[in-house]
Amino acid sequence: MSRLHDMGGRFGDGPIPIPRRRNNEIDNHEPTFKYDWHAKAWAITLAAGALGEWNLDISRHYRECLPPKDYMNYSYYEKWLAALTNLLVDKNLVSLEELKNVIDLVEKKGLNFEANKSEKLDKRAWLARDVQKTLGWGGPSIREINVSPIYKINEKVVTVKYSPNEDVNGGHTRLPSYVMGREGIIYSYNGSHVFPDKNAHAKGENPLPLYTVEFKASELWGVSAEDDNDSIYLDLWEPYLKK
Amino acid sequence: MTSEKEHNHNHSHHHKHEDAHSHLPSDPELRVKAIETLLLEKGLIDSETLDELIDTYENKIGPQNGAKVVAKAWVDESYKKRLLEDATAAIRELSYQGRQGENMVVVENTPDIHNVVVCTLCSCYPWPVLGIPPTWYKSDEYRSRTVREPRKVLSEFGVNVDPKVKVKVWDSTAELRYLVLPMRPKGTEHLNENELAELVTRNSMIGTGLPENAK
Repeated sequence: MSRLHDMGGRFGDGPIPIPRRRNNEIDNHEPTFKYDWHAKAWAITLAAGALGEWNLDISRHYRECLPPKDYMNYSYYEKWLAALTNLLVDKNLVSLEELKNVIDLVEKKGLNFEANKSEKLDKRAWLARDVQKTLGWGGPSIREINVSPIYKINEKVVTVKYSPNEDVNGGHTRLPSYVMGREGIIYSYNGSHVFPDKNAHAKGENPLPLYTVEFKASELWGVSAEDDNDSIYLDLWEPYLKK
Repeated sequence: MTSEKEHNHNHSHHHKHEDAHSHLPSDPELRVKAIETLLLEKGLIDSETLDELIDTYENKIGPQNGAKVVAKAWVDESYKKRLLEDATAAIRELSYQGRQGENMVVVENTPDIHNVVVCTLCSCYPWPVLGIPPTWYKSDEYRSRTVREPRKVLSEFGVNVDPKVKVKVWDSTAELRYLVLPMRPKGTEHLNENELAELVTRNSMIGTGLPENAK
């Protein structure tokens, strides 16, 4: 079974919410962050992630693990914030007690008060002077390891049928349900990359060959495909595939 | 019936937080304020770092970067070749690199192929060249429909793809990040690289738009 975030191909969603100007032209220039709290939620999530207590795959999995009702009701940055809150408590960066106290505080005082900032920053904290350097490095997922890929370019493959996380029931995976058990062609090989199915559960990076696989629209959607010749490409790790 | 707090979390592994997020205030602004206050009090985050991050993506990193990559590829055949062979290295030539663009792939639109990029599982997007994704890119509607009915989705953006043109949809399921190289508009032979970059819209580099025509 999948989770709600795995929504590729789902029916029922309406028109894309495209912002338009008064003359009905598409607005390509809406602000980076619509509200100040969006910017803050985003930046706090990045800064808290830099403390090194979790990786990108873990934070993705926490968002996916929000209860379905919350996942559907929350806007984008509300999901980020809820997952961050759960992470902060789980990783012992804040206690539930401290969290409840600060919630009481803001509910009493509202938005207009200054936080009583700590005089000393935690030694793990991300310093402003390091921001550009760290962003420039990023966090590459490719690993130089000597593994030969099993599959060759243009080879026919079939994706596994069931949720492939072997360690954790309902665990993280990057194989969407809409391509499970479908036939595709290896389009390219991209080297070995950190395997999210392990990394999201703090079971090590376990880098594995990553391929781009081409699926025909007709293979995925049958007679309802818009055009049989259209293709959908996904980046899939070797364990998601078989011959 | 179970109460809100008792609802089944559907985790097979046990988390300690017991839905810590369910204690948060209903107003999202207050939620952010609470987390920010707590992390500042504990010295876990620095407010200058938050300001620097927000300023960077509001003012320095955005689709203007990707537009320069595209314009350069339009005027310089050898750059275009490098870009299609090793996009990460070619984009680094213009000093764009790093977070959420560590492994770049550029896909080229041609008279026979139209490319469009989506992330059905979350909101993967090439930050160094396009910045933070727009709201519609992160919407359920775009995430669910683009892989199943790309032509209909594109038509909502005003892009009507000829039935003879193949549509390629790229679902960013790993850490490769995709940038579409749109076709250079006709009648732009007289324009220089900077002028061409002005025509390259953000949506044209996602595949949900086309470059503007020369004025």
